Amino acid sequence: MIAWPTTTLDNFDIQNEAAKAHRQGCISTETLEAVRAAHPAKLYTPHPITRVGLFILTTIVATFTAGFLVLLSITSESMSVFRVMLVIASLLCIGALEFAISQKGSYRSGINEALLWSAVGLLCTGIFLESHNTSEKTVALVVFGLTVLGTLRYADMVSSAVAYLSFLLLIFWQALYIPYGLQALPFLLMALSLAVYLIATKMEKRPALRHYADCLTLLRVLSLITLYMAGNYYVVRETTNSMFMLELKPGQGIPGGWIFWILTVVIPPLYIFLGVRKKDAVLLRTGIILIAMIVFTIRYYHSVMPLETAMVIGGLVLTGGAWALIRYLHTPKNGFTYAASDEPGMADRLKVESLIIAQTFTPGARPADTGTNFGGGSGGGGGASGDF
Amino acid sequence: MNIDTFSKLQKEGLISDEEMQRVTHTETTRLFSLHWEIKTALYLGVLLLSGGLGILVYKNIDTIGHQVILLFIALLCIGCYAYCFRHRPPFSREKTESPNAFYDYALLLGSLTFVTFIGYLQYQYTAFGTAYGLATFIPMVVLFATAYYFDHLGILSMAITNLAAWAGIAITPFQVLSQNDFSNHSLIYTGAVLGAALVGMAELSEKRDFKKHFAFSYRNFGVHIFFIATIAGMCIFEKWYFLWFLLAAAGVYLTWYRAFRDHSFYFILLAVLYGYIAFTILLTRTVFHQLGDIYGGFLYVIASSVAIIFFLVNLSKKIKQQ
Repeated sequence: MIAWPTTTLDNFDIQNEAAKAHRQGCISTETLEAVRAAHPAKLYTPHPITRVGLFILTTIVATFTAGFLVLLSITSESMSVFRVMLVIASLLCIGALEFAISQKGSYRSGINEALLWSAVGLLCTGIFLESHNTSEKTVALVVFGLTVLGTLRYADMVSSAVAYLSFLLLIFWQALYIPYGLQALPFLLMALSLAVYLIATKMEKRPALRHYADCLTLLRVLSLITLYMAGNYYVVRETTNSMFMLELKPGQGIPGGWIFWILTVVIPPLYIFLGVRKKDAVLLRTGIILIAMIVFTIRYYHSVMPLETAMVIGGLVLTGGAWALIRYLHTPKNGFTYAASDEPGMADRLKVESLIIAQTFTPGARPADTGTNFGGGSGGGGGASGDF
Repeated sequence: MNIDTFSKLQKEGLISDEEMQRVTHTETTRLFSLHWEIKTALYLGVLLLSGGLGILVYKNIDTIGHQVILLFIALLCIGCYAYCFRHRPPFSREKTESPNAFYDYALLLGSLTFVTFIGYLQYQYTAFGTAYGLATFIPMVVLFATAYYFDHLGILSMAITNLAAWAGIAITPFQVLSQNDFSNHSLIYTGAVLGAALVGMAELSEKRDFKKHFAFSYRNFGVHIFFIATIAGMCIFEKWYFLWFLLAAAGVYLTWYRAFRDHSFYFILLAVLYGYIAFTILLTRTVFHQLGDIYGGFLYVIASSVAIIFFLVNLSKKIKQQ
């Protein structure tokens, strides 16, 4: 099913683990070399930066190949030739991908991702172009089927994410046809997300599915987010309002709104609590990100205080809280530490943090300006989440 | 680390018992690190605080007096700097370890409020008169001094951004292409000179062994702005585009040569990609322009991109082996 030989992937994992142990000073260099020699893995996985470059170039090739094929068909009047060309381009991408994997051992090289996503995109365009009668359900179903196949064969994380989201969309469209489906929809989606989260958490530990571990981790994050979003007051109110033309006036609530308010406020702290209890980074970080969503939801409906006051207070709370945590964790407590983990991330090597600071920084009055932008503009860039 | 993997390796006789013990010990005593979470909270806090203060000042200009606001900003700025002065490690030409993350972000907040302070002074009192350059020049000097004195890469990036703003260019990563009007000739000249100067600074700090780790930031900004300026020059100038191509080619050669010496994938990639773009524009302006053959153009892009992909793949394999 998976495109690479499983022994090669296993050896690749072993090599990575051994390299990690070597960095932490657990095994000697000779042992590392011995492990590498005993478990050879002929996979091509370049440096992450090269991956980005290869991704860009491969996308260019795929785009121009598709464009070239379309140019050839442009003289014909009928739409079907056009569509056939798109499908051919998609098949060419899959062919190139299979060639790159079997001949060159390309694994997460940027080429793989570019070819897979181009193939899925071109195929979908080819199928749905100019077909006005297809329902949303069919689109979701086709996308779901294609991305599930892509995930199973290439263990691609983005494909698994798209598959999950299109699955939820499929349920969403289907539920509208059931009596009382609309009222039950948020709870149905929450239950499904919870089920997916539990299943993905279980499967992540299964040795048989080890090559899909990254996809499953992503699924866990996504299902936690959709679980929250399905119960979030803002999402529920605005979706029902815009989709079914309830024409709610500002300030007017939805029936049973209090349930959703409770869910909105309770779930993220619950995630954080569970994350701390279980020492689970996925739960913890998702919870922290969703705290921002609580603030947004409350502020959208109730202007508790002006934005700038909220920003200043929020800034003080965050900075002060972080300062207190640093002091508290000066010596590690309860299995938590403030010290950086011993794996130097990509972000450190590329100095991403300094680039983000430069991005969110607005230089003082520029010569040509009238001088109105005194440092105020930097508030909006807060979404950038530090460094991974 | 996965204990199961290592116990398997131990059974195969590849790992000694002692090493296995060390792995198990490291893995079982490993602590859960909150480093990322705390740093993100600090960064967001500083951003919110400086942004919120900016808006607060802006909205209440008429009600609170200017002096009060200025005083408040100045106090915050002085407070941050004072904290950093007290906790700073001794100055060194090498990289110094910061005492903790809070120190880094206090310094960042101090610098941000200082920039706000100068901007406010200029906006409200036109303290520097019509010498607008001075209003960016002073923060720039202070930012550079802060970056070097306290050894802070983020503030160095801010200083470089400010230097470019002083020269009239926006070089923040996402705005370098959208905010600049490259049909303006003087902007292209400035960009090329600024880019070369920044790369020169990188070389200097490496040669003189003065804050060597700053070289990456200088070179990163410098290389990008130089290539963007020269490529813009190739597109804009009607007669002199070949001269700009020669400049870009020289840049590609130097970047390539340097990157190979430092084993830096990143700059090799930049040299290849920018070089490819410059070469393609040259071809478009000379050969394809006359032929007017759209099919040929498409085929060229497909074939050349595939060639570059193979080239990059081989290159990265070669560098990995070294």
